[in-house]
Amino acid sequence: MISDLRELWRFRELLLTLVERDLRIRYKGSMFGFFWSLLNPLMTVVVMTVIFKFVMRNDTPNFSAYILSAYLPYLFFQMAVLDSAQSVLVALPIIKKVYFPREVLPLAAICSNFIHFLLALGVFFLFLFAVYLADPRVSPFSWNMLLLPIPLALNLALAAGLGLLVSALNTFYEDIKYVVAVGLQLLFFVTPIMYFSEQVYVASHAHSGSSWLYWLYHLNPVATLCMMYRKVLVAPQDVIVSPDRLPWLPIDWGLVAIMAVVSVFTLWYGYRTFNRMKWRFVERP
Amino acid sequence: MIEIRDLHKEFRLSHSGAASMKTALLWWRRRSIEHLKVLNGVTLSIPAGQCVALVGRNGAGKSTLLSILSRIYKPTSGSVEVKGRIAPLLELGAGFHPDLTGLENIEFNGVILGLTRAEVRERIQEIVAFSELEHHIDAPVRTYSSGMQARLGFAIATHVDAEILIVDEVLAVGDFAFEQKCYARIEEFRRGGGTILFVSHQLDSVTKIADRCVWLQNGQIAMDGDPAEVISAYHSSA
Repeated sequence: MISDLRELWRFRELLLTLVERDLRIRYKGSMFGFFWSLLNPLMTVVVMTVIFKFVMRNDTPNFSAYILSAYLPYLFFQMAVLDSAQSVLVALPIIKKVYFPREVLPLAAICSNFIHFLLALGVFFLFLFAVYLADPRVSPFSWNMLLLPIPLALNLALAAGLGLLVSALNTFYEDIKYVVAVGLQLLFFVTPIMYFSEQVYVASHAHSGSSWLYWLYHLNPVATLCMMYRKVLVAPQDVIVSPDRLPWLPIDWGLVAIMAVVSVFTLWYGYRTFNRMKWRFVERP
Repeated sequence: MIEIRDLHKEFRLSHSGAASMKTALLWWRRRSIEHLKVLNGVTLSIPAGQCVALVGRNGAGKSTLLSILSRIYKPTSGSVEVKGRIAPLLELGAGFHPDLTGLENIEFNGVILGLTRAEVRERIQEIVAFSELEHHIDAPVRTYSSGMQARLGFAIATHVDAEILIVDEVLAVGDFAFEQKCYARIEEFRRGGGTILFVSHQLDSVTKIADRCVWLQNGQIAMDGDPAEVISAYHSSA
């Protein structure tokens, strides 16, 4: 593994070139390329906010900012894994003719999506400011924002690990990407994006009298990541689903620790699996 | 310098078609996997500065040997030791991205071959000038003719300061003038101490530029030595 890492380092310029090319292709063609790519999350948030405020009666302050703060990381995770799943297969004609460490391909897909995500987070802060100006009674800003590098790093590790694993498997079994796409779609519903983990906590106590369902729910690393992003990016508020008012919960560091272990393990396991399979890509039957 | 010891390469051929989970699950018992032995113990030592031609019939293992040297495949057994940077020219337009322009592809390929982007930028003028594609360099490579792709590929591979050049019969598509230019460049490369290993079916060019010829037959070396002698033996066997 050490020699594989050294080889990857030798080809860092190639990784940079690929990431730059990805971003250039994504943002060129139209002057507002970057803003077009934000259309999906922003429109989703508008629709969700309207539905949840007026149909589901969710009156939590800064509700739209809460949705966006979990939906953007979820979108990054989804796009990074889906893009990397195809990356080796698409480049098969090239890798049959030239050598370079094959892991550069999925990693480039992960990195360019990550950069896109960081840019989107920049727009998120503008959005937060607009939300604050629209309703200055409840400030969405807090010192928790300084913790942002923690979920970012763990999110990157988890996405890279899964991306490496899926891209290697998908090269041999092309159906993997369909299974993964369905899994990522379902992930949306078991992740606190359109509802709050506080609601999961209350539901867990109502059904089982203890927190164990809440814990089980948060064993899903993406759920814990989104929970953490939310509490880091927007000042925590009580969740108001009329007529109930659910007091906000602080970041559960025990759950974060489990998620951190899972993410780092996924990165290690994905990288190891990829390296074991990469020499057989070109000999695919 | 290239040092190949007792090299074997075996491919697994599956007759059940495309790879998918369905075929893997349905046919895992009846999978007809055929083992195809392409290289059967090749031992070859090429000192730095030598120009070696590989000849042999289709399927003799020439391209597989070049691919293993270029690190596309891992050998089944045996060892390969290479000292110096390799620039492989394995196929026409290989490694080119059809939607990128010629210029972007030069940068991309140069980086793949181990240069930094700054080093590629230093050489870009020279590469474009050698390929004589000044008027087309901003057009996507998919619009290039096969001759133009061969020019660009050759120009890049011979301008990355590699010590070893590996060429798999790609020069046959250029026109006469460009072919002469390529031979001149190869000659220059050799004078600079570069090693060349190439496959060719144009036997007259083998005798013209190679100082050694290796004849591969069924994955083994049938004969190795002076180009003129090997070629005449190869001729009379066919």
